[in-house]
Amino acid sequence: MPADPLDALRLPIVPVEPRPELAAALLRRLQQVDQSERRTTPTIRYFVHDMAAAIEFYCQHLGFEEEVRSGSVFAMLYRGDLRLLLSVPGTHRGGHALPDGTLPTPGGWNRILIQVADLDSTVESLRRVGVQFRDDRPAGIGVRHVLLEDPSGNPIELFEPAGGYHERSR
Amino acid sequence: MIQDPDTVHVRYMVDDVGAAVSFYTTQLGFTLLTNFEPAFADVKRGNLRLLLSGPSSSAGRPMPDGRQPGPGGWNRLHLLVDDIEAEVARLHGAGVRFRNDVIAGPGGQQILLEDPSGNPIELFQPAGRWRSAPATAATAGPDGETTP
Repeated sequence: MPADPLDALRLPIVPVEPRPELAAALLRRLQQVDQSERRTTPTIRYFVHDMAAAIEFYCQHLGFEEEVRSGSVFAMLYRGDLRLLLSVPGTHRGGHALPDGTLPTPGGWNRILIQVADLDSTVESLRRVGVQFRDDRPAGIGVRHVLLEDPSGNPIELFEPAGGYHERSR
Repeated sequence: MIQDPDTVHVRYMVDDVGAAVSFYTTQLGFTLLTNFEPAFADVKRGNLRLLLSGPSSSAGRPMPDGRQPGPGGWNRLHLLVDDIEAEVARLHGAGVRFRNDVIAGPGGQQILLEDPSGNPIELFQPAGRWRSAPATAATAGPDGETTP
């Protein structure tokens, strides 16, 4: 009987390693791979006083997209892989009041960074539409960056890579 | 120049860059990218890059109107965890400060902790399976929680 031509394509049968140690090691390795490759969307929460004004600002001027809006107290925006949660502080549900009654406020200095190709022209066009800058003197090491504010006074940093800018690959 | 267009950059102002690096890498699963103590360091977690800027960094210089950048405020990273009770117990054990206790809502549970400089970080455990892809409007509540 002639050999089946498909035999040439079949993989050889390899006996399975019977030791439980191998199975345990394999399981550990698979779990590690799963953990290291697990990715969640980087998310940051900003507090704003006026939700409509905030959504308009982020979507019209900074390239965000509105994903979710829940009444006038919460919204979820996306810009690439960045998820921005906007919350209106208060005693309502989702207002993030602390147990002692302290309410979160917009502002502070911690901020999201947005990379732009041409910082000077971006600053110029944003200034023309009335965007407020905390600091419009480009500065930095490896980058040039400026700091602007949303309508509630939250900071947003724009940066342009300069000579020597290095970012380690994932 | 190596650039990853998927990287999301966030800057926190800190009082002590070394203490911040230690905190984020030891307690919150970040890995160190670069360390230019005492001015600046950056750490990453997934495709989030967190820049930690000290008072002597370029981001720490005063504004033109004299205002001085510093840590604190309420805007914060929102980190997803699988088991918030276990995380809180672990972080309590390590002496980490919290601004509140775990708050439970229909979408999940959350708590607010502080880094050594007093910057807030929010831990969030979704009630259902979290989807990292954009969710639909019908499934999100006012805390930003989403369920499948």
